[in-house]
Amino acid sequence: MSVRKRLRMIASFLLCGIFLLAFAAELVTPYSYAKQFREVPNAAPSELHPLGTDGLGRDLFSRLLYGTRVSLLLAPAAALLSTLIAGALGGAAGLLGGWRERAILAIADLSLASPLLFVLIALRAMLPLNVAPLVSVIATFLILGLLGWPSSLRVIWAATRNIRNSDFLLLARSTGCGPTRMIFRQIFPNLRPALFAQFWVSIPVFILTEATLSMLGLGVSEPMPSWGNLLRGLEDFSAVGSNPGRLAPLAMLTLVVICFQIILPSREDLG
Amino acid sequence: MTQWFATLLRRLLSLMALMVAGGFLAATLVRYSPGYGVDERELDPRLSQNSIEWMRGQHHQDAGLIRYYGKYLEGAVRGDFGTSESLHRPISQLLSERFHVTLRSVSLAVITAWSAAFALATLSWLFGGWLFELSCTLVSGFMLSLPAAVIALLFFYLRAPVFLAIAVVMFPKLFRFIHNLLSHASQQPHVLAARSRGIGRPQIFLRHILAPAAATLVALLGTSASMGFGTAVPIEALCDSAGIGQLAWYAAINRDLPLIMNLTLIVTLITVACNSFADYSSKLISREI
Repeated sequence: MSVRKRLRMIASFLLCGIFLLAFAAELVTPYSYAKQFREVPNAAPSELHPLGTDGLGRDLFSRLLYGTRVSLLLAPAAALLSTLIAGALGGAAGLLGGWRERAILAIADLSLASPLLFVLIALRAMLPLNVAPLVSVIATFLILGLLGWPSSLRVIWAATRNIRNSDFLLLARSTGCGPTRMIFRQIFPNLRPALFAQFWVSIPVFILTEATLSMLGLGVSEPMPSWGNLLRGLEDFSAVGSNPGRLAPLAMLTLVVICFQIILPSREDLG
Repeated sequence: MTQWFATLLRRLLSLMALMVAGGFLAATLVRYSPGYGVDERELDPRLSQNSIEWMRGQHHQDAGLIRYYGKYLEGAVRGDFGTSESLHRPISQLLSERFHVTLRSVSLAVITAWSAAFALATLSWLFGGWLFELSCTLVSGFMLSLPAAVIALLFFYLRAPVFLAIAVVMFPKLFRFIHNLLSHASQQPHVLAARSRGIGRPQIFLRHILAPAAATLVALLGTSASMGFGTAVPIEALCDSAGIGQLAWYAAINRDLPLIMNLTLIVTLITVACNSFADYSSKLISREI
């Protein structure tokens, strides 16, 4: 087995373990993410609180597990949304051609040229900031999904164009295959690897963007935990010095993003 | 010459069209965002009913989208982008005070990140063995896994310059791209042929790898501007640097929609202009080659 395959296997096991831990948070930790222990704020790691507590006396380990669940559930959901948009628009541009292709590509190029974070915070500012935590989670990841498609679109457009000019599609057309059948039986199965790769590439990007947005106070709002707002604990440097457990969200986020980078499908995998 | 002029004119026209369309989109979003036209001064108990009615009347005058946009465009042509709702100051004044701070940071960051990424990618190609390659991949992979805001905090604690933080965020992306580009170019048949003829590595690099890759590298330079301005938001906000990135964050936190929309529009125009210039230069270079 090659080194790359071995690394991928280890990364996949790690990701599965983290997913399982996050989804079994209720079984692993007895506390809710919002429960306060007011007598022990900023506590160091102990038997009761393995990673200590934050400034409001909430158990950091519980918050980390629930935050992992939020980030790991919604980043793939946002990635799915952006891949679907990119698939629909890129596919349409590649198949239709002409002015419609040029218009779609012009919009994508314009979106690629504008700094994503500027557009993200501008759109986020459109919505009221003091919304319910659940609404803030949905709004954050929805905006990420709605704005994250342009880079994927270019790839899918290129793949669709190749398929459009392929011999098998010409053959299908000459045998009287209808457009719907052609899309679902000929084009979509051949686009699947590109769509899958784009979905996979988008997940770590969205995880990192959510972290930055939440650290700026524009993402998931308290008391709902996410990796981003847990990282806000790093702003209090003296507390980090007395309780290194505060670095756990950063370690977890970095580990997960590295795992995603390792298991990204390579060109050879995609054929 | 005529073709050059026509291309330039076409790009300028497309920039202007972008400004008009982007402005309209921004105006639409501001006009229909929740809470538009609600003035918190209406809650002030010292104001009489007449004053409150007058304020409502003022908002009502700008209620129509076309009228609102027309007024915005008319002001923008004169360099008046309106007034910030949270800072109660003209947006053009805020921009002139802060823009040069961000421009300086982003320019220095682009130069630093590019120099480091290009130097490392070149060294890796010229002299690097598997250990050097592995170390570069691991370090850049680790840096790519850190959120920009965490790097900003680290630099804030270290009291390091803001441009360096932006450069650190940009570096791994640039390094990976340049490294992959050089690796791909070095696998081309003409490079293998040059090697088999016994031509030295530095000469192969300059003549057969760098020259064909130059056009793509110039195009990448254009996207670096967009990358730099985007990164400036968290870095300036958390490192307390008084640039437009910090202003954008402040505007978003205070829901100052005219300010954030104008900032986004202006930064988009700048980055699109940089991209167009880089794209054009890249095409010129590839034609020369």
